[in-house]
Amino acid sequence: MTTTPGQAVAAGRVSAPRPSAAQRLARAASKLTLPVILLLPAMTIIVGLVGYPLVRTIWMSFTDTRLGDLINGTSTWVGLDNYKQVFTDPQLRSSLVNTVVFGSACVVGTMALGMAVALLLNQRLRFNWFFSLAVLLPWAMPALAASSIFKWLFDDRYGFVNWALVKLGFHHFQDYAWFADRNSAYVAMFVVVVWQSFPFIALSLLAGLQTIPRDTLDAAAVDGAGALQRFWLVTLPLLRPVLAVLVIFSTIWDFRIFDQVYVLAQGVPDRAADTAAVTGYRESFALGHFGTGAAIAVVLFCVLLLLSIACVRLVGREART
Amino acid sequence: MRTHKVLLAALAAASVAVAACGGSSDNKSASASGKLSGSIDVWIMDPGSPAVQSVVKGYGTSFQAAHPGTKINIEFVPWAQAHDKFTTAIAGGKTPDVAEMGTTWTPEFADQGAFEEVAKPAPGKYVSSLIAAATLNGKVWGKPWYAGSRALLYRKDVLKKAGVQPPKTWDELMAAAKAIKAKVPGIYPTGYTGLTEHMYLPTIWQAGGQIATQSGKSWTSDLNTPQAVQAIQYYANIYKQGLTPKAAIGWEEPDAQTAFINGDIAMLVAGGWGYNAIIAAKPGMKSKIGVELEPAGPSGKDTAFAGGSHLVVFKGSKDTTLANAFVDYMLEPANLNKFTSGVGFLPGTVDGIKASGYLTDPVRKPFADQLLDHSQVYPPSPRWGALEGAQIFDGEIQKVMRGQQTAQQAAQNLAKKMNQEFAG
Repeated sequence: MTTTPGQAVAAGRVSAPRPSAAQRLARAASKLTLPVILLLPAMTIIVGLVGYPLVRTIWMSFTDTRLGDLINGTSTWVGLDNYKQVFTDPQLRSSLVNTVVFGSACVVGTMALGMAVALLLNQRLRFNWFFSLAVLLPWAMPALAASSIFKWLFDDRYGFVNWALVKLGFHHFQDYAWFADRNSAYVAMFVVVVWQSFPFIALSLLAGLQTIPRDTLDAAAVDGAGALQRFWLVTLPLLRPVLAVLVIFSTIWDFRIFDQVYVLAQGVPDRAADTAAVTGYRESFALGHFGTGAAIAVVLFCVLLLLSIACVRLVGREART
Repeated sequence: MRTHKVLLAALAAASVAVAACGGSSDNKSASASGKLSGSIDVWIMDPGSPAVQSVVKGYGTSFQAAHPGTKINIEFVPWAQAHDKFTTAIAGGKTPDVAEMGTTWTPEFADQGAFEEVAKPAPGKYVSSLIAAATLNGKVWGKPWYAGSRALLYRKDVLKKAGVQPPKTWDELMAAAKAIKAKVPGIYPTGYTGLTEHMYLPTIWQAGGQIATQSGKSWTSDLNTPQAVQAIQYYANIYKQGLTPKAAIGWEEPDAQTAFINGDIAMLVAGGWGYNAIIAAKPGMKSKIGVELEPAGPSGKDTAFAGGSHLVVFKGSKDTTLANAFVDYMLEPANLNKFTSGVGFLPGTVDGIKASGYLTDPVRKPFADQLLDHSQVYPPSPRWGALEGAQIFDGEIQKVMRGQQTAQQAAQNLAKKMNQEFAG
């Protein structure tokens, strides 16, 4: 007795009756129970440490909360007033522009230096382990300590930077006041930020570089590609997913930068070099305008969120093609 | 064998003592016998010298010795960060029990309900302007600790080389500064900074103007006046003409002091505390420093800012009885003078001033004269502390120093910002 496959399938369907809706629900629930239970502790902490402050900050940004309100738990709803202020007050607005321009410059600088160092370390030089270790050191230093040290290095009379520049023949830098002008202050802060953030980028890119098959590079070389062409046409495209992730990371770091700017931009005339994070902090804790400070924080949050989403989508597209 | 027994006896005694302490802390501070116990946190502004720090720490240890079972935790807070730190602490409900409070901040935080009220002191016990500065809505919120005014410090040797006398007026200061610049190489004439309102705001008084006036409960800025414009112009000119280091635009007061210690500037506006810190850092400089009242402006006034500190007890203190007891202990004349003479301030109590012998000390007398007869306080408005904390004045003054706007524009902007802040 032979049965066709179709009959067998039909028989199987008959012998195993379809589960009822309730049964299916129960099965789905039991399938979900374990993951939910496992996730619960982490979720609680995330909701408590990230969710609550986020919601409270957003709520606060629509109120006129002062120091006294925080003590008494009161506040007045003012709608979009704080946001209007953020975009019309010249100082607050310029702090947002500063964040975007200075932050982007730092990202470019960090990525360029990080790539250069990664390529060097990938050359398998002698004492490579030593260089890798040395490269990590700036990353391990607390930002506040590094900023204070650099403040001294850039000191007008006793700083190493001016001394060295004068010795090199740039007499213009005798007693040069780096932090008396917005642009020169940015040069100094750029150096500090890039110096501190390139190690992570360099080591991540190094890891990426080591996954690129030598065969591909050798094949390109055999086909007559020069070193520069190999880099542009083989290495860079293969590194693109890693690069994209690192660009997101450094954008987030450099846009919300606080310590370095707080320490170094303090004396810049009219606080013209402050970034949004510092301005938001000062608006809250120096002036006691917690509502306005919260609005700045929310705007910064939205900017970073949009940038991150854009980057993630970009990476996704790269991965598909 | 004998030593063992002694040791055991000592241990037994110690454990009894510990038990006694533990027992008394149950019914907290003031028990029937008035015995104090418990522990409090005290924030004191960093006086900038280890010697004076140890005087303050000494209050803690001697108080603990006099009242076994108490614990006084003293923490030093740098002035530049203090306003933010208090705001953060109040917002987060993590305030200390006792703190030193800059006189201009007391009304601000009192307005937020941060302090315990102080019983109205008997007239004549404290320096009256310091009580005025601690008063808001008819109630007193802090006890005066010390007061001081800045005066003009100058390097006798440098002025001599330049062939000029210590300046007594704005014009003389300008002339002296130019002479120093021309004749003495390697040293800047002055150290007027862009971040020290106590250097530039008093020039408004010296020009014959006011900073703000009160009517009823509200305050109005007086900065949009010819006198204020003249003052800002004068102050900025010193920088514009290169009579102060380029970097000074971004200096805080301690940076200017450091520059004076390093021999980089010849004239400095500083208080008795600054003078003390300078000669402590460089004793050899003592014979080279002269002190003069601040240069008088065109109105003939040589007014300086009368600054100082209150001691406050925070609302929500774990133990107000112990906190108040420690404050009163610090204000006892003998204790008070240990601090004020070390730090270079005048005591905030009348008894303290009598005990200080300040007025008979020839070097420090100009500081005392400046405070007692040639000084004024900033408007005691609850919003003043925020204006200071936000460095509203600095930004506008710095822009004039750099030539990015005129003194007239700065005065207008400041008047607008101040009135906004007073209103809000």
